[in-house]
Amino acid sequence: MSDCADVIIAGGGIIGCACAYYLAKRGCSVIVLESSDHIGNGGSSRNGGGVRQSGRDPRELPLAMYGIKNLWPSLSDELEVDCEYHQDGNLRLGKTEEHINILRGLTTRAKACGLEVEMIDAEAVQSINPYLSKEVAGASWCPTDGHANPLTTTLGYYKTARKLGVRFITGEPVTELRKIRGKVRRVVTSNGNIYEGETIIVAAGLFSRPILNSIGIDIPMQKVMLEALVTEARAHMFDQMLGTAEADFYGHQTKHGSFVFGGTLGLEGFTRDNGTPVTNSLAASSTCRGIIKYFPMLADAKIVRTWAGWMDLCADKVPVISPVDEAPGLIAACGFSGHGFGIAPAVGYNLAQLVTEGRTDVNLHDLRYNRFCAKA
Amino acid sequence: MYTINDRSRDIGEFIPAEDDDMLICRCEEITKGEIRRAVHDGMFTLTEIRRYLRTGMGLCQGQTCSRLVKGIVAKELGISPAELEPATARVPMRPIEMNILAAEETEAI
Amino acid sequence: MKRYDLIVVGAGPSGLSAAIEAAKCGMEVIVFDENKKPGGQLFKQIHKFFGSKEHKAKIRGFRIGQDLLREADSLGVHVQLDATVMGMYMDKEITVRIGDGIQHYKGDSIIIATGASENMVTFPGWTLPGVIGAGAAQTMMNLHGIKPGNRVLMLGTGNVGLVVSYQLLQAGCQVAALVDAAPRIGGYGVHASKVSRCGVPFYLSHTIVKAEGNDCVTGVTIAQVDEQFKFIPGTEKHFDVDTICIAVGLSPMSQLLKMAGCKMEDNPRKGGQVPLCDKYGETSLKGVFVAGDVSGIEEASSAMIEGRISGIAAACSLGYITGSRLEEKYQEHHKALNGLRQGMFAPENRGKILKKTEEGIDISESLLQKGYLTADEIEKYPGVTHQKGIHPVMECSQNIPCNPCQDACPKKCIKIGENITSLPAIDEKAQCVGCGMCVAACSGQAIFLVDEDIGDGFASVTLPYEFLPLPQKGDMGTALDRSGRPCCQAEVLNIKSLPAFDHTNLLTIKVPAEMAMNARFFKQI
Repeated sequence: MSDCADVIIAGGGIIGCACAYYLAKRGCSVIVLESSDHIGNGGSSRNGGGVRQSGRDPRELPLAMYGIKNLWPSLSDELEVDCEYHQDGNLRLGKTEEHINILRGLTTRAKACGLEVEMIDAEAVQSINPYLSKEVAGASWCPTDGHANPLTTTLGYYKTARKLGVRFITGEPVTELRKIRGKVRRVVTSNGNIYEGETIIVAAGLFSRPILNSIGIDIPMQKVMLEALVTEARAHMFDQMLGTAEADFYGHQTKHGSFVFGGTLGLEGFTRDNGTPVTNSLAASSTCRGIIKYFPMLADAKIVRTWAGWMDLCADKVPVISPVDEAPGLIAACGFSGHGFGIAPAVGYNLAQLVTEGRTDVNLHDLRYNRFCAKA
Repeated sequence: MYTINDRSRDIGEFIPAEDDDMLICRCEEITKGEIRRAVHDGMFTLTEIRRYLRTGMGLCQGQTCSRLVKGIVAKELGISPAELEPATARVPMRPIEMNILAAEETEAI
Repeated sequence: MKRYDLIVVGAGPSGLSAAIEAAKCGMEVIVFDENKKPGGQLFKQIHKFFGSKEHKAKIRGFRIGQDLLREADSLGVHVQLDATVMGMYMDKEITVRIGDGIQHYKGDSIIIATGASENMVTFPGWTLPGVIGAGAAQTMMNLHGIKPGNRVLMLGTGNVGLVVSYQLLQAGCQVAALVDAAPRIGGYGVHASKVSRCGVPFYLSHTIVKAEGNDCVTGVTIAQVDEQFKFIPGTEKHFDVDTICIAVGLSPMSQLLKMAGCKMEDNPRKGGQVPLCDKYGETSLKGVFVAGDVSGIEEASSAMIEGRISGIAAACSLGYITGSRLEEKYQEHHKALNGLRQGMFAPENRGKILKKTEEGIDISESLLQKGYLTADEIEKYPGVTHQKGIHPVMECSQNIPCNPCQDACPKKCIKIGENITSLPAIDEKAQCVGCGMCVAACSGQAIFLVDEDIGDGFASVTLPYEFLPLPQKGDMGTALDRSGRPCCQAEVLNIKSLPAFDHTNLLTIKVPAEMAMNARFFKQI
């Protein structure tokens, strides 16, 4: 089998798989190189499944809105898997005056970007989600937000791309990019294999940084471990995506009936790992306390599993989705900072456009790789 | 490099079998046929099978079915079960109520 | 955070043994177990153990458990029951569910001794209520006093399948059949013979086609399989049963080690995924040790020795004993462990088809396929002789590491010698007095006292009997042969129950003289 293709993608997460799918659909030959033994083994399978526009930085908001408008609604049909996409709104909850002020700020900024989002009072919150604690004083409400299943969505992109002839190779960590006559063409892996393509997309999450470093490009990003948990299945209660003003937890009830919640410990960025993302002994307990504050009726729901994942936190918390001018043929798509899942279809779609047409539906200028500047 | 790392490996067509409707993962009610079909969809590792179908993700955390799933996947791929990666194990060892997990000693680390 | 020199997870045979050794070295030890009763599988083992004195041979498993607990207690080991270890994290930290809360503990060393869980097989109907693990059946009977069913089919003829089948009979269940897809019985021949002489048929090269029933098991169909384990049409057999017991092996419960990031290997010879560890049981995580089934499926006897080794190794790692002391004790334990890992069932012989015993005697195919030795075959073994007057007949035909019979005989009639796996032989110069100590001492219930001529054309046979109610002197009944078929009428001459026999009653029956070498079980009418 040839190790040459139109496009070589470093990273078999949802970004890499979505790019591969949309490129293959446009007739490109694609090889995806994944460092771990599993497809979608990083943040793609460890995130909370939010498909949100609210709470996003204005620079990436257009991508989120584009995906929710054009891609998410038909994704299950297109990929022939159940992505479990629900567009039933996002409630960001607050209990105190301080919380409400935080939420007001977020709402004002989002409205300015043209997003349909509003502040609602306690009564309105209860009418949307009657299972919430009566202590909830208000919320920001974005009715067009939602959630999906990151596992089936990622693997759905993989499955469908594979069917279209994309070659996926796992256990193949990319270590180096090489220029040939002024253009980035070659991809070298730690197994000593060399792949060659007209375009190289680096979408390897945290590992994108050393890969890009090999060709003299550095994107300031940091490894931060986040944790999530899942409960046993319960009877259906609600379909909204939830979050809180003080970020105690976020999550939703899945189609399966279980609740997937993520939470923070307060020590993020300072935790340790042993080479793989490992849960901290304190995190799940802390998240549970956060959840019970808002959902007293879930107090007896059993936690079945907890897990951790690394996010690739960019210096300004917004991803780099950008061709690299000084390295022609190279595209970077990384630094998603923990909120890449919801925009992944739009990223894949637009990068496929960029490769095949040299243009994109969404203007990606604000997400360029060389935007990081020192203080004036 | 594992042979199963090349996801273009030809494992043949999915051929329906008589016992495809046999329940394998009892907690999540996943059948043998669903597992076999997932392998043909490209899910070549136990981790991918779990994420794709939820096998071993229920209350027993795969205590009963992980060995069975491993056998089915290996057979479908034409490899020995020992060539497949170990199923992951995650905290908690046993399902635990949120309020109990939340009630921990408060002493700092 | 609460911190101990040593945290042991699992209060089974290996965990308790580890805790005992570590405490003896002066360590502060805490043991967690998720069950309400300690002892792990030991407390379910009501049969007598094999081995030599140092392996606590001829002692019933649950008594070994009681002894371990007493010893741990006297050494100040804190055994915390009803305490489920939920997770193992970096820095040798664990979280434990105790009551309605979570506690954090750190150990300067940790020994994981979490044991194993039962494997399952699938067949149509395998999810019906009534299909249970053999270990579960044992828990119901021996810990909770509940009969798992009335009529049971056992799948699997390893030692678990054989031992549990016998215990089901003891609990008053009928065992319809023992079934195994393999062409030969996997467990000890003596265990198989105990079941066989009660009249339970063995179906080797057979497996379950389907469990029948709508809401629960009402029957089962089995069929013969060929060498590729495919069903042979037309060989189906049906049994009316309400319970199907599955005894198809165990898998190490190594999840805590995996979640903590231990390097693991998939080793089919050890029963599945086990941590890589050195000779002391130390894993790739420094200070984290393993012992017992979690590091590879074996017997409780070897688990106890492994526990002792990891216990002293943990003590050494924290300076409680010197390296040379560790090595000295290790050699001693290693010798004992090696003693257990010898003979026909030694790990290196797993999967091999042996044709001859160490003595060069042909191995009985009947024993391996039907569960009993034939009357002709029995004569070939060194434990079987014909003498005037009462004498032991030892129907021990496989080389297993076990020798209590040798020490049991006060008259030194029985010889095994230096090699613990040798078959017991009769010293014809010594004079048997018919005390029956050997009969009660044989964990395999394979020793009988026979007097081939008690006058009037009759013989007496004394057999080990562990069923209730006990027959009374003068009772009439049927003698069954090794295959469980009735062979003649029998009269109970005596029933002897001494404390030294530890609940193995000696039942003496009178049978026609020609049945002296056939009658091996007694069925009351």
